Amino acid sequence: MDLINPSPQVFERKDTDRKARTKQELAEDVRDPIDALEIFEHVRDLTDPEHPYTLEQLKVVSEDAITVKDDEGIVSVLFTPTVQHCSMATLIGLSLRVKLMQTLPSRFKVDIAVAPGSHSTEAAVNKQLNDKERVAAALENPNLLEMVNNCLAGSYR
Amino acid sequence: MSQLTHLQTLSGHTDRAWNLAWSPSGETLASCSGDKTVRLWTRRSPGSEEWVCDAILEESQTRTIRCCSWAPGGRQLATASFDATTAIWEVQGGVWEQVATLEGHENEVKGVAWSPSGCIIATCSRDKSVWLWEALPGNEYECMDVKQGHSQDVKAVVWHPEGEILVSCSYDDSMKLWRESDDEWICEQTLSGPGLGHASTVWGAAFEAGGKRMVSCSDDNTLKVWACRSRDGNLRWAPLTTLSGYHDRTVYSVDWSSSGAIASGSGDNSICIFEEEASASADVDPQQKPAFHLAVRQRDAHSTDINCVRWHPTDPTLLASAGDDGSIKLWRYHV
Repeated sequence: MDLINPSPQVFERKDTDRKARTKQELAEDVRDPIDALEIFEHVRDLTDPEHPYTLEQLKVVSEDAITVKDDEGIVSVLFTPTVQHCSMATLIGLSLRVKLMQTLPSRFKVDIAVAPGSHSTEAAVNKQLNDKERVAAALENPNLLEMVNNCLAGSYR
Repeated sequence: MSQLTHLQTLSGHTDRAWNLAWSPSGETLASCSGDKTVRLWTRRSPGSEEWVCDAILEESQTRTIRCCSWAPGGRQLATASFDATTAIWEVQGGVWEQVATLEGHENEVKGVAWSPSGCIIATCSRDKSVWLWEALPGNEYECMDVKQGHSQDVKAVVWHPEGEILVSCSYDDSMKLWRESDDEWICEQTLSGPGLGHASTVWGAAFEAGGKRMVSCSDDNTLKVWACRSRDGNLRWAPLTTLSGYHDRTVYSVDWSSSGAIASGSGDNSICIFEEEASASADVDPQQKPAFHLAVRQRDAHSTDINCVRWHPTDPTLLASAGDDGSIKLWRYHV
């Protein structure tokens, strides 16, 4: 099969360890609010569907494209496919959603979309990724689920 | 001051609860789920306020059961599944048995609705089509028409209370009104477009008791009320008002009670109830622009998305809701 993007640009994995923890974060009786860095840690090591690189290495996801409103329970992830006509965009978005469904408390609503201008059929991709009925149906499809699980495998290490 | 009081939480489904259907008498509530089962809930004893699970219909459909609909007599139940089938269930010797399977859709069946006469079952699917099945004696079901027309998956089908019109709601942002004409079902009207229709997926619709008006709900976070008007001798549906600013996320379900209250359930975890202004409801003129006000906003009605709200058919103070948390909740509505 021809690759959609035969030679993507690959970037280094960043060191994002939390350096300065605030007093509040260290206090045990205070619940740490979930922030963009925490979400990024969950999704950075998902594997691209067609390359042996992570979504971070391909700059598909980045910390600054993640927004968290902890008090409202809303997480928003924008991702940037490596090419404008990437047919893998829905698979990447679905994998991001599954990963966050697995890791976040159920009170969180997750909105996933391609970054504005990053995809030729942006509106259609975004609509599909945020239709939970379509997502539920897709995850009952064994072939699709296997592809999602392949993307997720790297993130469990 | 109107309010909604939580009566009971019905637990049992092990996955998202998608849809609810009260039997015509209101004695049984059917719920269906991503756990591939249908649960039937009844009162613990006649007159009791406590509802219990009376039967579980399972091991028939192999994927999510998305929607369920009672036959008007309340003796049969149709269930639509992502496995592309619609199952028909009937009580035989006190036990619920699957008595027929409607096969034909290419993929996920998302909606099913039994016509008020009991003679027709409508189904809709991700395959973009609406199918009409004739219910024949002896649990025989025959496809009588297949309607293409929507350009994307069809989310729901709803019958007019008189059975003359079938409404289909779609991911293509439109609603279509279908009517029988010379043994064929034709698309009489499409409700869509800027200034008229919804701006995103239409998830559901419900008719007012008399059938003169209907309300729809959408991924555009609004509800729209529509009225049937006579124009040039033809009946045309036109938008009356849009209820916006009440829900922050997708409105997945809407229902219109026998006493005139509109309930909506949303991905923002809340249930809203709207009442028509008293002055306008006295003698409803379908030409008049109605004024609906928010009577109740029940925040965190479920801890997750709410997928379905359904008024009890004979007791307009009883409301049922179903959520992604798998629970069904019963509510008492006090005006």
